Amino acid sequence: MGTEALLRLSNINLHYGSSHVLHDVSLELSDRPLGILGRNGVGKTSICNAIFGLEPITSGTIMLGDQDLSKLTPEKRAQAGLGYVPQGRRIFRSLTVEEHLRILERKGGNWTTERVYQTFPRLKERRRNLGDRLSGGEQQMLAISRALLLNPQVLVLDEPTEGLAPAIVTDVVELINQVAQEGTSVLLVEQNLHAALAAVQDVAIIVGGEVVERVTAEALENDPKMQKQHLGLEAAGA
Amino acid sequence: MRYFLVLIPLALLPLLLNDFWVSQVLTRALILGVIALSLSFLATYLGVVSFAQVTLAGVAGYAVAYFGPNTVGLGFPLPLYVSLPIALLLSMAAGALIGLVARRSRGIYAIMITLAIGVAFFYFTRQNYALFNGFTGFSGVIAPKMGEGNWGDPMPLYFLALGVSVICVVLVNGFVRSPLGLAVQAVRDAPGRLLALGIPTTYPIVAAFAFSGLIAGSGGILNVWFQERVSSFSVGIGPIIDVLIISVIGGLRHPTGAFVGAIVYVMLDIFAIDLIDRDRFNLLIGIVLLAIVMAAPNGLHQLAIDWVGKLRGRAEQPRTN
Amino acid sequence: MTLFFVVTLNGLTLAALYFLAASGFSLIFGLMRTVNMAHGALLLFGGYVGWSVVDATGLWALGVMAGGLAAALAGALVQIGVLGRMQGDELRQTLASIAISIILADLMLWIWGGTTYQVRTPSWLTGGTRIEVLGIGYATVRLYLMVFALSVGVGLWLFIQKTRIGAVIRAGVDDQDMLRALGYPINRIFVLVFAMGGMLAGMAGVIAGSALSIAPGTDLQFLLSSLVVVIVGGMGSVGGAALGALLIGLAEQYGLAYAPTYAAVVTFVIMVFVLAVRPQGLLGRAEA
Repeated sequence: MGTEALLRLSNINLHYGSSHVLHDVSLELSDRPLGILGRNGVGKTSICNAIFGLEPITSGTIMLGDQDLSKLTPEKRAQAGLGYVPQGRRIFRSLTVEEHLRILERKGGNWTTERVYQTFPRLKERRRNLGDRLSGGEQQMLAISRALLLNPQVLVLDEPTEGLAPAIVTDVVELINQVAQEGTSVLLVEQNLHAALAAVQDVAIIVGGEVVERVTAEALENDPKMQKQHLGLEAAGA
Repeated sequence: MRYFLVLIPLALLPLLLNDFWVSQVLTRALILGVIALSLSFLATYLGVVSFAQVTLAGVAGYAVAYFGPNTVGLGFPLPLYVSLPIALLLSMAAGALIGLVARRSRGIYAIMITLAIGVAFFYFTRQNYALFNGFTGFSGVIAPKMGEGNWGDPMPLYFLALGVSVICVVLVNGFVRSPLGLAVQAVRDAPGRLLALGIPTTYPIVAAFAFSGLIAGSGGILNVWFQERVSSFSVGIGPIIDVLIISVIGGLRHPTGAFVGAIVYVMLDIFAIDLIDRDRFNLLIGIVLLAIVMAAPNGLHQLAIDWVGKLRGRAEQPRTN
Repeated sequence: MTLFFVVTLNGLTLAALYFLAASGFSLIFGLMRTVNMAHGALLLFGGYVGWSVVDATGLWALGVMAGGLAAALAGALVQIGVLGRMQGDELRQTLASIAISIILADLMLWIWGGTTYQVRTPSWLTGGTRIEVLGIGYATVRLYLMVFALSVGVGLWLFIQKTRIGAVIRAGVDDQDMLRALGYPINRIFVLVFAMGGMLAGMAGVIAGSALSIAPGTDLQFLLSSLVVVIVGGMGSVGGAALGALLIGLAEQYGLAYAPTYAAVVTFVIMVFVLAVRPQGLLGRAEA
């Protein structure tokens, strides 16, 4: 286990119509969890869309190990080893919890429906409930479980703590740490600085669709000026 | 200036061609072009593909037949200066009504609804005898007198159709620059934003449909004078698809492309007989439509522009290198 | 009273056919946002193939299966060859499917001519059945048609609600992009659903040819009824297709019997009314 990059984004540009959303974004993700931080609307979700091929990039490459993902369809990218926990969770509203897990379960994988139920007894209790009948926290657990069932090499989470109660935020952070320890690379896109710093070791800060800073989580934690400048926060955890 | 480059040859063409060409090719293409223009107008500026434009043309056509001379002994003859405005008002009112029904529908929903309206009108004309004379409709609907002959003769009708076409194109260009026309385009671009600003979208949508009714109705009146009859077949699924095909060939985002589409369509219709079995015309037109949709989704007009651009690009390349 | 019962049964017969036609149309729309204007052509194609098979073999059930399979294959080819290539561009898909329906209609006219066909039914389907409760007799084949439509409806519902593939289809209806980002090869599911829609249409064609008759124009008739049925009932739901078919089928027959001049308008008025009150259809979900 070295620090060799597993997921490598090189000079990604992305346009929505005539507006230039991502400017030469380059990121490297190794087995050290990486956080992408930035204010609302700076292009964080666009990075996820670019990684998963949900929006066509204008230029740049996306590599997973030796494999070039840039030209692949979203489904091929996921099969190559990417797991996605999207912003807003995007639970299938007409599927039950059980159905979510069953349609994605792979034989012989590290994560199975049984393991999900062991990890989240709450989901087992609610397994016959439809997706849109779950609470925000339950939906988030399901969204993460759904991605884990693919047994991905890289797990991308887009604002997984958004709108959750503080106690549940702690659970989510704990789970991310656990997943990372088991050898999955984690890319965490967050607005919640406190949660992000608890879950990742490295941080890239995005402003206006550009990567403006690359620091360790520790350095950012101890640099209120940088926090204020790029993230608009008075103090960490305020 | 550009317009005159097109118009002068069009005005001179009849001197070179016989009656068959003038009436069966040019006049027919102009009339179909006007009706298709009303569709392309909606598609371009409101972003709605309406299958009910033939219906609107039919409303005006039926009105002229009902309020004018015909040989079926039905209707209420009125002088031309009354019946023509009535016909156009009716097609505008019908357009407004369709706009009202379809106001909340976009994209494919609007297609389905306008298609359903068009076909319902078709069945209605077949079943109603009091106004539409059922299956057979109206015959002997001749154009008004003009000197020795009447406006329905090949030459006068050609120039009439040309004049109406020019007026319609000018009207469309004027409409889209007017405040109302800009509101229509704003609805196309961001209906949600307008509603959020508290600007109702119903009025521009209804107005755009009513305006398209005016254009389609003008074409419908010409068509009745050209055919000298109007019946349920004039508003059936056949003509509905024909007009759609014409707009698609010309490019749904290019209003004036409708005339290009119309001339291509009419030529295909007339000369296909030399290429293939007359009975297989639909096969040919289906394949043409499929080819256009697959290879040139923006129509021939855009295809030509692209080609010209490419040729120019290629010609310029050596210089830039 | 007898007239009323017969008209009601006629309405239910029509509703059963409309449902068989519209359910596949609605399924395809619900998942892919594709308005398949060639749906009526697939139905007529299935009907012709079924007629030819029954004519050659004398086996009615084989004809129904052959018609269904032929239309399923044609549907899958349409999706793979044309519509799948423009996925996401709904207008282009609509136009392309119109072109396909024109081409298919003309090819069928070429092969089977302009004659009206009636599929020969086996003896257990031929003749009439006395319905004692209502005190009338009614064509057996039509009664079985209603039973068939009902079982197709229940079967389709079970398939979508209870099977794994059904769950995948529902997930695709809910959020196509998310399903793809989770590694599901959605294009294969599209082809499958298109084939299923074609299958339902093809079987409906053979059955329409048995209970009524088929001829050039049948394709349009069923395409339009499917359009109206799903506009009224709501797109993408089996229940919506059933409710819409029931409303439109009955309204058409009552209209024809009691107000012949306005029969076509009755359907239209229902549609406009539903659009005004619930633009997404009676059982449809509002667009997100």
